[in-house]
Amino acid sequence: MYVYLPIAELPVQVPLFLALGCMVGFLSGLFGVGGGFLLTPLMIFLGIPPAVAVGTSAAHIVATSVSGAVTQYRRNNVDLKMGGVMLAGGVIGTIIGVEAVRLLRKAGLFDVTVSLTYMIFLGVVGTLMLIESINTWRHAQSTGGKKRKKSGQHSFIDGLPLKMRFQRSKLYMSAIPPAIIGMFVGFMAAIMGVGGGFFIIPAMIYLLRMPTSVVVGTSLFQILFVAVLATILQAVQNKSVDVVLATLLITGGVIGAQIGAMSARRFKGEELRGLLAALVLLVALRVAYDLVVTPAELFNFGPSQVPK
Amino acid sequence: MRVGQFLLRLSLVVWLCVVASHGAAIAGATATLPEAIEADVSARSVSVQADFTGTEIVVFGTVENSRQPSAEAGTYDIIIVVEGTSVPHVVRRKSNLGGLWMNTTSVRFASLPSYYAIASTRPIQDIAELPILTQNQIGFEHVRMVKSGSGRTQPTDAEDLAEFRDAVVRLKKRDGLYIQSDYAVAFVGRSLFRTTIKVPPNVPIGVLKAKVYLFREGRLLGEYKSEVALARAGIERVLHDVAYRHGLLYGLGVVFFAVAAGLASAFAFRRE
Repeated sequence: MYVYLPIAELPVQVPLFLALGCMVGFLSGLFGVGGGFLLTPLMIFLGIPPAVAVGTSAAHIVATSVSGAVTQYRRNNVDLKMGGVMLAGGVIGTIIGVEAVRLLRKAGLFDVTVSLTYMIFLGVVGTLMLIESINTWRHAQSTGGKKRKKSGQHSFIDGLPLKMRFQRSKLYMSAIPPAIIGMFVGFMAAIMGVGGGFFIIPAMIYLLRMPTSVVVGTSLFQILFVAVLATILQAVQNKSVDVVLATLLITGGVIGAQIGAMSARRFKGEELRGLLAALVLLVALRVAYDLVVTPAELFNFGPSQVPK
Repeated sequence: MRVGQFLLRLSLVVWLCVVASHGAAIAGATATLPEAIEADVSARSVSVQADFTGTEIVVFGTVENSRQPSAEAGTYDIIIVVEGTSVPHVVRRKSNLGGLWMNTTSVRFASLPSYYAIASTRPIQDIAELPILTQNQIGFEHVRMVKSGSGRTQPTDAEDLAEFRDAVVRLKKRDGLYIQSDYAVAFVGRSLFRTTIKVPPNVPIGVLKAKVYLFREGRLLGEYKSEVALARAGIERVLHDVAYRHGLLYGLGVVFFAVAAGLASAFAFRRE
């Protein structure tokens, strides 16, 4: 069963894209990430033009993160204050990122930048998460599940001004680090066409030392608003959001996200992080493979319309 | 009486001669009347709707004053070219820089056909000489590709540029947008011919121009042009128009739908 996409200008198989949306939605509900880092490359692989894939995955992230964020909010797992501070940084980062995309495309360096950032960030984040979750798991094995306490490790962050109290996270810290993390995530979101969950979750856990219970909910909250902004910007500036494709992905995605959120309760935090790390590393390796191995076809069509 | 009879016979002979010579003149004229071509496409417009999965265009026509004794005689050659709208294309080439494959050189073509299908009675190089094919832009090697002056990393020599031209054809063939079918045009009588041109679903929407060329012994005897308008219709048209004319409204609409779908599923799956 095929349906013709009005913006991508090609027909796609309906069940295939429903399944893709469902699968990515499941992962997003399970890990608390938007899933853009998986969805965008998979759509391109299935023949969707890259610009449409990036624009439309933002819409999918809105839908899956809304259902995830609402579920988490009901369970009181969202630190609204922390999310708000990050979001403020995120908006600035997104605007800078959109401008960077324009300049890079003009210089013809956009593709390489995307591949390299994917490879480096997914690779580094994936490796760190994997090491951390293996360590935690081994530590838990040897001490019978008692969580390792880390203290006095972020004296640099403690020294920063603009201190705020984040009740839900039980933190009293400067607003600067979360704002900078949010800004960086917004910047990456604009360049890579992803929500940035794979980056924001480790940053919250390892840099901000937020309790794991509020990390997933708060990151979904931040991702939701970044994705809303990205969808509207892509629709207005690039005309690259395909509403029919988005409908297919979202229909599958919201169901998958709910199943994922339910399944998440059955796993321990470090197990989830280990799985997410493995997934992130897999995507990084795939991107690295394409960058390093001699391609069968050296030529390709670039975007014919360079944005002004 | 005899004279009268003679005169009558004479006039009859003269009349017969006149008729005979006139008839010969008609027959002679038939033998030397130039051939011409008339052709058309099966549909002047194709609407692209939600169920569009590509289409087929039948191109048919007739050779006027055909001297061909039968459909199989092969006196005439027909080449049919269907061309999509010409649009700018950027072609990039990867090369290895420090172990990484990245796009380094690019050529910007200001205009080249987004779609190009060619069907003929036999391979085009057997039908006509190169200059004729080049002049009429028949065949992938002769497709009009206008290189744009502006470009950051342009190849300098002609040989390099030819490689980019070849790459365009190769990539377009891979995407099913450049199609060549030798022997696809068939005569169904002494003068009637037809072929079917495949239009893939990923064809860029616009006007397709069909050109039909008639050849005999390598000479171009005539050509005929027609058009097929591919146009969005129904919901496809509405969505496309809104997306391009009212981007903000469209974006907000997509976000609204996404949020509503997300909330609806969160509500539906609520277990408390």
